[in-house]
Amino acid sequence: MAVFEFKNAQELGRVCQLHGVKYLFFGKSGAILLGFSDTTQDVDLYVEKQVANCAKLVDALVELGFRLTEEEQREIRRGKDFIQLRNGPFDLDLIFAPDGIERFDDAWQRRVEKHGFPVANIDDIVGSKQAANRQKDKESLPRLLSFREWLKRNQ
Amino acid sequence: MSIVEHDPADWDDFDAAAKRPIEQHIRNSFIKTYKPVLDDAEYRSFDTMEEYRQWCKDNLPDWLGYSRT
Repeated sequence: MAVFEFKNAQELGRVCQLHGVKYLFFGKSGAILLGFSDTTQDVDLYVEKQVANCAKLVDALVELGFRLTEEEQREIRRGKDFIQLRNGPFDLDLIFAPDGIERFDDAWQRRVEKHGFPVANIDDIVGSKQAANRQKDKESLPRLLSFREWLKRNQ
Repeated sequence: MSIVEHDPADWDDFDAAAKRPIEQHIRNSFIKTYKPVLDDAEYRSFDTMEEYRQWCKDNLPDWLGYSRT
């Protein structure tokens, strides 16, 4: 498994745009695109959970090189809340119902375009981690909150 | 944490990161280390986030930090 690089982000953005997938970079990977200096291992995408969008997502994932069986493709099309992929060019988590966010459209309205990518607003990224309330979130939140303040000063 | 409580060293890091090309920033930020159990399957799916959280609680080592506090 290769580590995620900028060229992967560019390819992901290109293919998702080509297929018309509605998504947001989310979680720590989204914060990193906003400028956060920290480390993570996988890419989190918050994807609109609509039948048509999920079908487009499957096509995009296959084109990106994720090896999905027919059954896995059916599952994604059917709609899940969380899918973890370790069968492609980089580690990818697909989140359809993140903690702390009621509707995709709300997060979409608040999104930021950064380096040509749609990225969730830092308030949504922070809010979701606060709502998830996992140990790893608890440990990373002080620095993420610090980044949010820095970002608001430097936008 | 309020704006006055931030660690100044953090902001120095963010200032420095903002000066790097995005390619380098991404290279510095994404790493790969093996995470037991989590990385042992190529595909997992969960109907609900609650189901996912419960799976993490039941299957992942505590030290990975995926359990709710």
